[in-house]
Amino acid sequence: MKLLVIEDERSLLESIIQYFRQEKFLCETASSYHEGIRKVEDFLYDCIILDLNLPGGSGLQLLKYLRQNKKSEGVIIISARDSLDDRIAGLDLGADDYLTKPFHLSELNARVKALIRRKYSEGTSLLELGALKVDLLSRNVLVENQQIALSKIEYDLLLFLMTNKNRVVSRLAIAEHIHDGPSEQLPSTDFVYSHIKNLKRKLKEKGCNEMIQSVYGLGYKLSS
Amino acid sequence: MSKSLQQKNTRYLLIWLPLVLLIGTILFIVLMSMHARHMQEQQLELKQENIWNAFMAKPETIAWHITGEYDLVKGTPFSNNWLNKPRDTTIYYADKMERVAFGLLTERHLFNGQSYQLTTYISSKEIRHMIIKAIIAEVFIFVLILGAIVIINRKSSGLLWRPFYDTMKKVKAYDIIQNQALQLKEQTGIFEFNQLNQEITSLIQNVNQAYRNQRQFVENASHELQTPLAIIRSKLDLLINSPDLTAETADLLADITDATERLSQMNRNLLLLTKIDNNQFPERTRINVSDVMEKLLAYYQEYYDGDLPVINKSVQPGIYLMANASLIEILINNLVTNSIVHNIPNGHVDIRLTHNELIIENTGHSITGDPEQLFERFKKGREQSQTTGLGLSLVKQICHSYQFDLQYSYAEAIHRVRVVFANL
Repeated sequence: MKLLVIEDERSLLESIIQYFRQEKFLCETASSYHEGIRKVEDFLYDCIILDLNLPGGSGLQLLKYLRQNKKSEGVIIISARDSLDDRIAGLDLGADDYLTKPFHLSELNARVKALIRRKYSEGTSLLELGALKVDLLSRNVLVENQQIALSKIEYDLLLFLMTNKNRVVSRLAIAEHIHDGPSEQLPSTDFVYSHIKNLKRKLKEKGCNEMIQSVYGLGYKLSS
Repeated sequence: MSKSLQQKNTRYLLIWLPLVLLIGTILFIVLMSMHARHMQEQQLELKQENIWNAFMAKPETIAWHITGEYDLVKGTPFSNNWLNKPRDTTIYYADKMERVAFGLLTERHLFNGQSYQLTTYISSKEIRHMIIKAIIAEVFIFVLILGAIVIINRKSSGLLWRPFYDTMKKVKAYDIIQNQALQLKEQTGIFEFNQLNQEITSLIQNVNQAYRNQRQFVENASHELQTPLAIIRSKLDLLINSPDLTAETADLLADITDATERLSQMNRNLLLLTKIDNNQFPERTRINVSDVMEKLLAYYQEYYDGDLPVINKSVQPGIYLMANASLIEILINNLVTNSIVHNIPNGHVDIRLTHNELIIENTGHSITGDPEQLFERFKKGREQSQTTGLGLSLVKQICHSYQFDLQYSYAEAIHRVRVVFANL
């Protein structure tokens, strides 16, 4: 999978590519509008992560250019601007997703993976990890062909962990991911703990012991 | 104690004008009496002359004495001290049973080598009566003048000060948060008020500008903070994945993560506050508040299964408000979240929503400090480090922008927040 990250903040850019390289992505970077245009001209990518404030031009202009030239790469906008208008402007110009800074890399990863799944591999809607299978279309979770009944929250939680498999996902990233209500103020992230506990129990009942590990209370890691 | 301009003016007039009028009256009485006396003397003199002339013309025919008119005697029975000086006396009229005041004047005359003394009388009664009548008329006129002055003064000062009251009304209605220009009349017809309006207008312009700049600054600062925060977050995400993570560094990381999180939440809330300030949520729709409340409560029950205080709700269905959906969600969410976060173990939350008000009560520790300040930015009821201190100021700001009345009280370990909706 080829990924282009267009972001002028070098430090953030490095974090992103480091994370995605570990996910076995081929990463290209651009840190200005013109460099971005050049890279887009020369290569084909599966996904472009695009910052809106760039030296030399805005990310929205770049997006417009991309769509006018019939390039159909998936685009995820990352921006410090979080108003509805900015969001609508981005999505109207053909962005596939919009993520507000500051974000969690695990969230960005989940968005990129979801985008790639939507765009390129309609046929394969099955995620696998060891004995665990998740059918994304029917939203069924199977362990060796035995179905596990999960609540919506537990399903979202499992899917998020699977997208970020073998990595530690912070509790806050999980809280923000599965929290789809009014997002301004979470009373606490304690609820993650109880849902993880339930999920662990249900997996254990079907024989998937110890797939979810807690890492020093910082977060959780799903591995086979 | 301060009184209104008109009251003060009237009071002033009513204290001083009567005093002036009283002095005037006294002066009038004195002058009147002096003139009356003078007039009486003249009349006495005139009578002396007339009677003496009549006597000299026909000395034998004239009467020696007429009561209340004159007295003519031969010789000099009166001492010289009494002569040529008007004096006062009274004469008793038996038929009327009345003593009447008279002025009298005695002069010495010589006729054919014989000296005579003539005393003339002029009644003081009529003069006195006239003086009293004049004084009554004068007092009546003065009272009339006093009333007229007060009324005219009130009327004219009302007219005079009208531009001032207009200006005051507008300044009173002025709201810096709306940040509108203040439209004051440039021409009021009175120079001083023109100047006042001019000064106020330019003052408000400056204040508006400063306020705009400050808001812009906060917004820019918040925006600029997002990027470093994004960097810190991404580095933290990488760090917790590092293979040689120890329990010790994990502890440090947990603290850094918490602090960063608070920082970014604070920043988000600050941005939101500025946006509400800047009126960036103009679109209004008809919102079913009951639905918003029910969804939120269902959401809490689902996510925080078991960890929540007991929530007793009485939500009337079908309550609608014309407002911005996001803002109403934030308002309700922040209030409910607040009642949950600042609760005590085994506490409870009571929520009541009716067509004109929302009341949220929760058990909790008493707050330290002024409850009025609870809704100010960065003010916390207690020293609790997990919160941003902005949640309630968002509530206040939203209530302010929709003119909802926001009340807070604390009694018997129950915090009570009441929002009275205005635009029903």
